[in-house]
Amino acid sequence: MSETRSRKAVFEKEFTVVATLVVLAGAFLLAFPMFFEDAVGDIDWITIPMIAFPILGSLILLALASQQPRGMKERMAFPVKAASLGFSLFILVISTALFFGWIGSIDWTNIKLNEYRIDHEYTWINSLGISWHVGLDGLSFPMLWLTTLIIPITMISTWDEKSSWYHHPLLLMMEGALIGVFVALDLFMFYVFWELTLIPMFFLILKWGGKDRRYAAQKFFIYTFTASLVLLLAIVTLYFLQNPSQYLIDKGVLTGRTFSMVEMTSSAQMAANSGNTWLGSSMQNALFLMMVLAFIVKLPAVPFHTWLPDAHVQAPTAGSMVLAGVMLKMGAYGLFRLPMTLFPHALAEYQDWLMIIGMISLVYGAMVCLGQINLKRMVAYSSVSHMGIVLLGIASMQPLGFAGAIFMMFAHGIISPMLFAVCGSFKHHYHTLEIGSLRGVAKTSPYMGVYMMFAWMASLGLPLLAGFVAEVAVLVAFWMEYGWLVLLPALTLVITAAYYLWSMQRTIFEGDGEVILPDTMGDDSPRDISPWENVGNILMALLIVLFGVLPWIIWGMMSSYADAHFYQHMGGLLRLVAGGA
Amino acid sequence: MDVSELAILIPVLPIVAMPLILLLGRLFNGNEKWKGLWKEGGTIAVAVLAIVFVLSMWLIVGHVAAFTEGSGDDFVSDVGDWVTYSLFTENGDMKVQDFGFGLQLDHISVMLLFVASFLCLLIGIFSLGYMNTDPVNENRNHRFYAEFILFCAGMFGMVLADSFLWLFIFWEIMGLCSYLLIGFYYERPSAAYAAKKAFLTTRIGDVFLFVGLLIMHAVFGSWDFAVVFDASNIGAADAGLIKAMLLLMFIGAVGKSAQFPLHVWLPDAMEGPTPVSALIHAATMVNAGLYLVARMYPFFSAPAVAGEFTDVALLIAMIGGITACMAAAIAFVQDDIKKVLAYSTMSQLAYIFTGLGAALWFVNKGYTELAAFAFGASLFHLFNHAMAKGMLFMASGSVIHEMHHAHHELAHHGDDHDDHDDHGEDHFDCQDMTNMGGLASKMPITAIAMAAGSASIIGIPLIGGFWSKEGIVGSTWKAVLQDGGGLFIIPALLVLLTAGMTGFYMSRMWFMTFAGKPKTPVAAGVHEQTPFIPIPLVALTGMTLAAILFAGLGFAGWVGDNANYLSIGHLPSHLMHEIMHAFLAVGSDGHSDPYLFIVTWITIGLSMLVGPFYAMALHGGSLAKGEKAHWSISWLVSLSGKIRRKYNFDNSAWSDSGISNALKRRLYFDEWYDNLILKLVVPFALAAAWFDKRIIDGAIKGIESGSQEASKGIRQLTTGSARDYIMMAALGTLALFLLIWGLI
Repeated sequence: MSETRSRKAVFEKEFTVVATLVVLAGAFLLAFPMFFEDAVGDIDWITIPMIAFPILGSLILLALASQQPRGMKERMAFPVKAASLGFSLFILVISTALFFGWIGSIDWTNIKLNEYRIDHEYTWINSLGISWHVGLDGLSFPMLWLTTLIIPITMISTWDEKSSWYHHPLLLMMEGALIGVFVALDLFMFYVFWELTLIPMFFLILKWGGKDRRYAAQKFFIYTFTASLVLLLAIVTLYFLQNPSQYLIDKGVLTGRTFSMVEMTSSAQMAANSGNTWLGSSMQNALFLMMVLAFIVKLPAVPFHTWLPDAHVQAPTAGSMVLAGVMLKMGAYGLFRLPMTLFPHALAEYQDWLMIIGMISLVYGAMVCLGQINLKRMVAYSSVSHMGIVLLGIASMQPLGFAGAIFMMFAHGIISPMLFAVCGSFKHHYHTLEIGSLRGVAKTSPYMGVYMMFAWMASLGLPLLAGFVAEVAVLVAFWMEYGWLVLLPALTLVITAAYYLWSMQRTIFEGDGEVILPDTMGDDSPRDISPWENVGNILMALLIVLFGVLPWIIWGMMSSYADAHFYQHMGGLLRLVAGGA
Repeated sequence: MDVSELAILIPVLPIVAMPLILLLGRLFNGNEKWKGLWKEGGTIAVAVLAIVFVLSMWLIVGHVAAFTEGSGDDFVSDVGDWVTYSLFTENGDMKVQDFGFGLQLDHISVMLLFVASFLCLLIGIFSLGYMNTDPVNENRNHRFYAEFILFCAGMFGMVLADSFLWLFIFWEIMGLCSYLLIGFYYERPSAAYAAKKAFLTTRIGDVFLFVGLLIMHAVFGSWDFAVVFDASNIGAADAGLIKAMLLLMFIGAVGKSAQFPLHVWLPDAMEGPTPVSALIHAATMVNAGLYLVARMYPFFSAPAVAGEFTDVALLIAMIGGITACMAAAIAFVQDDIKKVLAYSTMSQLAYIFTGLGAALWFVNKGYTELAAFAFGASLFHLFNHAMAKGMLFMASGSVIHEMHHAHHELAHHGDDHDDHDDHGEDHFDCQDMTNMGGLASKMPITAIAMAAGSASIIGIPLIGGFWSKEGIVGSTWKAVLQDGGGLFIIPALLVLLTAGMTGFYMSRMWFMTFAGKPKTPVAAGVHEQTPFIPIPLVALTGMTLAAILFAGLGFAGWVGDNANYLSIGHLPSHLMHEIMHAFLAVGSDGHSDPYLFIVTWITIGLSMLVGPFYAMALHGGSLAKGEKAHWSISWLVSLSGKIRRKYNFDNSAWSDSGISNALKRRLYFDEWYDNLILKLVVPFALAAAWFDKRIIDGAIKGIESGSQEASKGIRQLTTGSARDYIMMAALGTLALFLLIWGLI
């Protein structure tokens, strides 16, 4: 009797903690405009609510939980999880309200290139010309919204993860870091957040990963870190290539130079529009190649992709979902934001190389998928294959191709987490990922079977699901630039269908009325997926259908960004390229 | 309220019903009421289909009425933009365009809309009887109805779409449903395999179609019918690209309509439940390819491209001829009743391809009158075939279902201690015609329906397919006579030969099933007893026999050149004209064409006399003593018995021959394709996986271990002894000085 009472008391205490935290956070966010409204009534919705709030929130939660005595830590799991989820839902509410103009009434279409909404700049390290500069446009907003969407869904899907008292806060920290990457308009800030994303992911893999998690975490970290050093080198070079400006020196910047992307973009823009090559063509080419190298490692593109399957196979479900859903988009986003915007001449020059890399990633990635026997490895390689389409869209040098590539980033961002959620369910309930070691489990796990079918079909580009729109847009544009080469990506669609159908046939189907379970099951009886996994999968499926049937909800801003990228900035130059003149 | 506002409901209602049925199924499975009254979702599906049928008829009647009144505008309803985008054109301008969505109904789609909505409804009703009385399907029927209704949405959407993009979108949705429904019994390896095979084979075609559509977009800058069918746009475009586009689109049609060489999936698709075979793989989805080719008509008829695409048209006719003959030959040796029908479907679709090929050839050559006739005949055959084949599949389903039932009763003698051996464990095959025989008296409705359907497929004069098949054969032979049409002799001969072969295999199927004495005890115990099944059979028998009325109303002419024929007042005179044309080859000028006359009568002779005669001689037989069939078919059974007794052929030499063996193995196509995949694609994929693991990742690992080795080497310098460090510091200082002095 007393034990139940004390349990009840503990629960009440937990509940109070959660409720207080969430209410405080909500009150803070509601009161927020009052404190941060500037003279013209423009509110910085990004810095505090979307970056500082999740990162600090996760640190507080981690501190809170780790201060508990040993036995209490697991008990703290629920309040910490619930608070993490509550925080991320608040952020989702804000970003959605921004999306539909409920707050700030922002029109995300018709944004000129190098013009940003919620554009706020604060001095950070003045002596080096570093500032905290945030802003959003038609390219970064979809990525931000995707991040705020995928993180809570991931938390829901992996609700039952063990040691979750610091699992979920890590995801929250991940959210802040990822948002930081997408909103940064200062190269230094961009780089800081770019690297910051590695840390929670590293720990996610290291702590909750599979058997070889140590190797995978190190490989993931060192591989992508090495690649970002090249990016750092490019950034520093860009910094020192500027002529020191007296204006900045007067403002107290010792070097007289700036890390501002906005400044650099406008320099590049001015040069391109007056017919010059910014920084000279050989320097443009060199910097372009360095940045592209850093970003296609993250994308990833063949041959720099081998960190991805290892990381995915070892990573826990949440790690895979965020990695495939959002982290890979950092690479593609970076391509758009930096090399493609700053170095249009180099882009035109290396257009064919991007196409070749994209094509190899697409075709070769699909072939490798067909040769896999591990479900998660197969899905990981399919990401390589699909990210190849992004490169093809870029190489098409058409506004439609750019918009298609951005839509592909978004669509893949909502489809691939579902793929990994299904893989996670396999691992969780059948303790295996080996294709062919089990048969007919659609009978024992009907929900899992349905989600698998749905996600697989979405990934192979079935119409009225999100991926199809992107494929149509990219391939239409691709034909206009490269003509009959389009047969290669088109035929890859057959290979894609082949590996997906084949993997379904050998896992959830067949069995002749019996369910064949893998040896790894031991004496466990097969179960269907948990309610939490169910909710996560349903949410993702609804999103995939929503953006497949009504793509224009988010297509408009992407298309508008792509138009601006072409027309206002590189206009003269790229039109010549696109016209083939 | 105007019907144009409601037309969008035709595809949307079934789409909405799909998740509803799935959800209710998950909630209420096992509930008695859900099982009894709601038929595990079947009632919802049939109700939705009934509403859709009413809406469609409203649209169709409105369209036909507007047409006969002379205002004959096509129904067009623009729903909205889907996505808007920009493109750079050759001269550097930016063009803003959109992929729009809208509905359209014209003389081609109006017929297909009727076929689709009518057959979806009837087969939905059939499923209530077929699916819900089989205990194997218990608690999974909701899945069947959900997938079924999604398929219907795909078909309606494809027919009503006003652009090639949306045609393709709904085309793919049908492909998905076909996959899901073939694999309905996913636990059977053969079904899972067949589903995968169907999806991948059609996907190969779809991908080419997709590339064709990309070319279309590049050429016309749009996918809307209104833009791409505009003769001046076609005239302004590059004819070579249009030709490539047409060929690629045709490959898509070949895949979807199961034509040579992408035909291998259709026979295996019979693994699906019989209503699926009836609806998807006989009456509707496989017609999508034909619809696509029929839609290409304006590309051939534009004056600017006259004579440019004759070879494409000839290719279409050739593929049609080859498939028709090949499928008919394979159907000779099939013992599985559904497989016979599957090959028959393939063969009849090929007929329509041949007819369409001839029509496109004519119109591209400038023979508009011949083209309109051939086009009308082809689409009329599509109509007749859909009605007859849908019914034949349902009739075969009725036979299989009752065989099953009888087998179940016989196997258990009333004790039901073990009721899950219906599938798999025992090897009695309820679909094998060598297990049947003598069912004519036991299943009268089914037997009559099947006789009418078979007669329609064979082309027995005055029944169903006769009216259209004659037109196709005649048109093909007409093409031979025209300038430059000499090569049409190949498809012409093939379809003529196939007419006789059809007569044989369809009769063979009927006589093996219904005539003679029961070949097994199971067949002796069959009764016609399942509810719902006879309704569609009767309705479709009526439609098959009513083809004469459609012919009399000038249906083919109307579809063919959109001319004003459909009018009750003209029925008698027009019917007379049709009959004179069909039997005496009297043209519109009132004179008989002797050439056509000969072709007509050879066709009739082959299909009505030679084919059925051989079938009767081999497989005919009177019923057992005391059994009596319905009068309308009893004469047929006794005639077959007489012929069998009189000419008792020895068939063993043929059935042991290499040809027969090759036909039984489907001319080895499946084996070749499997080998191609096993020996080429799979090793290549495994090699790619190996390459990735060993070479690419191996290089990374090489760098990793190399750097570790190097660091190990450097670590040697850290000896820990102060003497070494001082030594090194001294050497370093010396080196620095040397550097500063510029000595090195």
